[in-house]
Amino acid sequence: MVKKMPLKNRIREKIIILDGATGTELQKRGMTAGVCPEIWCLKNPDIISDVHAGYRDAGADIVYTATFGANRIKLSQYGSYDVVEINRELTLLARRAVGTDVLLAGDICSTERFVRPFGDLDFEEAIDVYKEQVKGLLEGGVDLFVIETMMDIQETRAALIAVKELTDKFTIVTMTYEENGRTLNGTDPVTALITLQSLGANAVGCNCCTGPEEMTGLIEAMKPWATIPLVAKPNAGMPELVDGKTVFSMGADTFASFGADFVSKGVNLIGGCCGTTPDHIRMLKESVAGRKPVLPVRDSISAVSSARASAIFEGERPLSIVGERINPTGKKALQQELLEGRMSIVRTMAKEQEKFGASLLDVNMGMPGIDEKETMLDVIGNLSVAFDLPLVIDSSNIDVMEAALRLYPGRALINSISGESEKLIRLLPVAAKYGAMFILLPLADGDIPETAEKRKKIIEDVFKKAAALGFTKSDIVIDGLVMAASSNFKAPAETLKTIEWSSDVFGANTIVGLSNVSFGMPERKWLNAAFLAMAVSKGLTMAIANPGVEELVNTKLAGDVLAGRDMDASKYISHFSQMSTKVKQEDAPSHKAPEDEMFQSILEGNREDIERLLSVAMDSGMDAQRMVDESMIPAITEVGALFDRREYFLPQLIACAETMKKGIAFLVPWLGDSKLEKKQKGVIIIATVKGDVHDIGKNIVALMLRNHGFEVVDLGKDVSAEIIIREAVRLKPSVIGLSALMTTTMVNMKEVIELAQRESLDCKFMVGGAVVTKAYAKSISAHYAKDGVEAVRVVEKLNAFSTDSYGE
Amino acid sequence: MGSVPLLQIFPSINIPLPMGAIYRRLGYKRGVTKVNERKREEVGQYIEYAASLVSLKGAGIRVPLERVDPPLIVLKTGADVRSVRLAGLLNGCKEALFIGSTSGSVVMDAILEDTEGGDMTRGVVIDAVASEMTDAALDWIIGFFNRLLARENARLTRKRFSAGYGDFLLENQKMMYDMLKLYRIGVTINENFILMPEKSVTAVVGILA
Repeated sequence: MVKKMPLKNRIREKIIILDGATGTELQKRGMTAGVCPEIWCLKNPDIISDVHAGYRDAGADIVYTATFGANRIKLSQYGSYDVVEINRELTLLARRAVGTDVLLAGDICSTERFVRPFGDLDFEEAIDVYKEQVKGLLEGGVDLFVIETMMDIQETRAALIAVKELTDKFTIVTMTYEENGRTLNGTDPVTALITLQSLGANAVGCNCCTGPEEMTGLIEAMKPWATIPLVAKPNAGMPELVDGKTVFSMGADTFASFGADFVSKGVNLIGGCCGTTPDHIRMLKESVAGRKPVLPVRDSISAVSSARASAIFEGERPLSIVGERINPTGKKALQQELLEGRMSIVRTMAKEQEKFGASLLDVNMGMPGIDEKETMLDVIGNLSVAFDLPLVIDSSNIDVMEAALRLYPGRALINSISGESEKLIRLLPVAAKYGAMFILLPLADGDIPETAEKRKKIIEDVFKKAAALGFTKSDIVIDGLVMAASSNFKAPAETLKTIEWSSDVFGANTIVGLSNVSFGMPERKWLNAAFLAMAVSKGLTMAIANPGVEELVNTKLAGDVLAGRDMDASKYISHFSQMSTKVKQEDAPSHKAPEDEMFQSILEGNREDIERLLSVAMDSGMDAQRMVDESMIPAITEVGALFDRREYFLPQLIACAETMKKGIAFLVPWLGDSKLEKKQKGVIIIATVKGDVHDIGKNIVALMLRNHGFEVVDLGKDVSAEIIIREAVRLKPSVIGLSALMTTTMVNMKEVIELAQRESLDCKFMVGGAVVTKAYAKSISAHYAKDGVEAVRVVEKLNAFSTDSYGE
Repeated sequence: MGSVPLLQIFPSINIPLPMGAIYRRLGYKRGVTKVNERKREEVGQYIEYAASLVSLKGAGIRVPLERVDPPLIVLKTGADVRSVRLAGLLNGCKEALFIGSTSGSVVMDAILEDTEGGDMTRGVVIDAVASEMTDAALDWIIGFFNRLLARENARLTRKRFSAGYGDFLLENQKMMYDMLKLYRIGVTINENFILMPEKSVTAVVGILA
């Protein structure tokens, strides 16, 4: 009787076979689209029993209950149902179908709602929804649980927490990955694995969406970091559209041929998803029969995760910087913002630290006058939505920490757990429940140990208590306890001894709060940098610091090379070669004549240098009008030609036009006759027509025309025909330019032109915009320009010739 | 789906940056457009900056169709729409999926500031990023619903259709706005049926069972 041996043990002996598709099998047997599958199964018990029994007969070790959508949110779309009863009855029905020789997994899937912070479903409500379903499945007598086809890591966490808070039964969790190797919400398989295995999943993997060939790659990516068995349930190939119907065409023999590959890549439980049948499962079982499973290669992992990324601290890796900036202590603007419930400074700080290379972000919301828990949850939500970096939750308040760990959509690092009684009694179990890593601060009740020896004792005591709750040395990061050198010049040496012992003897990762070492000293950055280098040489894993400090980052990069943690010095070389390239570019001397430099400056859109170049040229006695005529106009004309040939794209065109504009503005005091020139060239009115608010294209046209010496009056967007014509009567433009983006507003161009004709206005019209065509322009007696460069040519031409040939 | 149309609100949509689409929108042509390292870096920084200002949100709702009798499309909710082209898209569908997305107002403020006297080069890049990300958010919503529909042996039509194009009048945007409750994601609609912030879009997709 296979069921007698616990699943955890059986997984070590053989590849466990899961069942195949239920949905597509029910559809084959008459379930139509639009019905509630769970209710349909209860009304057609023989059919669903036949499907279950078919998989048992095919050799599945585990069969899933037909409760995929039996949560109250999904069921409510079909009416009012008793969730517990439906889950219980479907479980009992499945048990009768498969008997007791196979294991019955209570199947849980998405509510199809996204959960806070990624959606509008409250996280606690999501847990409650799942608990209701779990209760029914338990009443029905499931042997284990499977949470499957999940698209959102946060909803998956809610489901897993719901199961784990009600039972300790074995729980499989599988997510669905898109063609880009990520879930729809952007989670990669390694990140999902790190989050879910630490939260208590007993097996993790993937199902649906891809065929077996693609799925082996996902298993292979996860295997090196898995502490638990891996699961695969691929579709019978990629879906194809045949005669308007979605079909999965991979036959059972082809499907099964991937079995050996899955086993060698490390899968431990395998079955099928959409399109698979009992034949697929039978042949799959045969293909893996007798193959020795590849067990997880590790018992624990030092890694944290966010919703979309992970940071792994295994092996020789470069020092990680934990960005320290998101902390209101001593930051008045941030304090004020948090008091007002705003998050823009927090986001800016996160963005800057990410840009400067932080691997993690420390978040501390401890300040008087705010609700620390609510603020912490808001910050976690905001950062989790907008940034990929994993977070370090930094609070001395245990309630805040628990709420934060529950909501955080990844595996967090706790800052910190010390040897103080309250932390050990209350916080350590919370950390264990949510599978967080924690910083072990070697402090005990009423004692700040000055020597490394005393710190070692506290570290060992805390670890002993943590190990009793299931923690390993991989789950902790030991704080070296940095004290100010200014108050005790022997203190830094004791910290270094603590780091060295923790790293080399105890065998755990280490961290320091770097800037404490220089407290009370002048020019602190040098002490910080020197201490960092010394700590890296002792094996330091991470430092809490400001990654925006150049000296610190450069010391870290150098330290990583010298400690052998930057293989081939690739990161060091890459960083400094980029910097030296920039310096060379900026310092490169020019030997060109001033007029050539101006030409080149406009051609390259060099907005930063144009005024300096013009100033040098003017100082050397050059004539302003000559510079415009002989360097700048030819340059911008050449830019237009390059844009026409698509050798330049829009940002280049605009940068060049802005450079020209800046240059002309600089020369205005020397261009006495320029206004006369503008009058000769004529006034141009431009506007986006009534009902349309899109104006970037119109703004580009205005910029280009001004650069070519036209006086442009821009009336803005959503401008009525009456206003355009009223201004035209007043200003007497040679050309009116009209812009529209939508077919529905394009017709308002015609209204403007008809009004102009009724007013006997003597001017020409040029039109353009995303949906406007040359044919349409011709139909309303207007000229057409496809872009800003062509607009200049059209207006030049209209000013030169009085006879009209519309649509050109 | 069941008898009760379920409005899905997506308060936060995370998508990979649609770099190809952004560059194409800016007129970049592979093998033809020549961009030096400095300009490439500058544009890259603008794209990154723009992406940090975009806050994608969306909504979607499945609505059963009473009948499709071109040009008339009658929804089970009682509303009706006239469009030959949309009726063509919905031919054979028993349901339609109405979707909407927005890039938020912060990015629009940045575009406005840059194009009206700030840095127009950056402005056009931000504009392109916001447009393409808003569009990609619709694709993300379609992907989400397609994933759910696969379980029902149903799928979405390959094409989508937006109000204001062809004979599907912009006036219909009001009905879509109300159905999708786009105010819940910070979108308003003006008397000309234009959505604000400007980088907000709606579309209709057919559901083939």
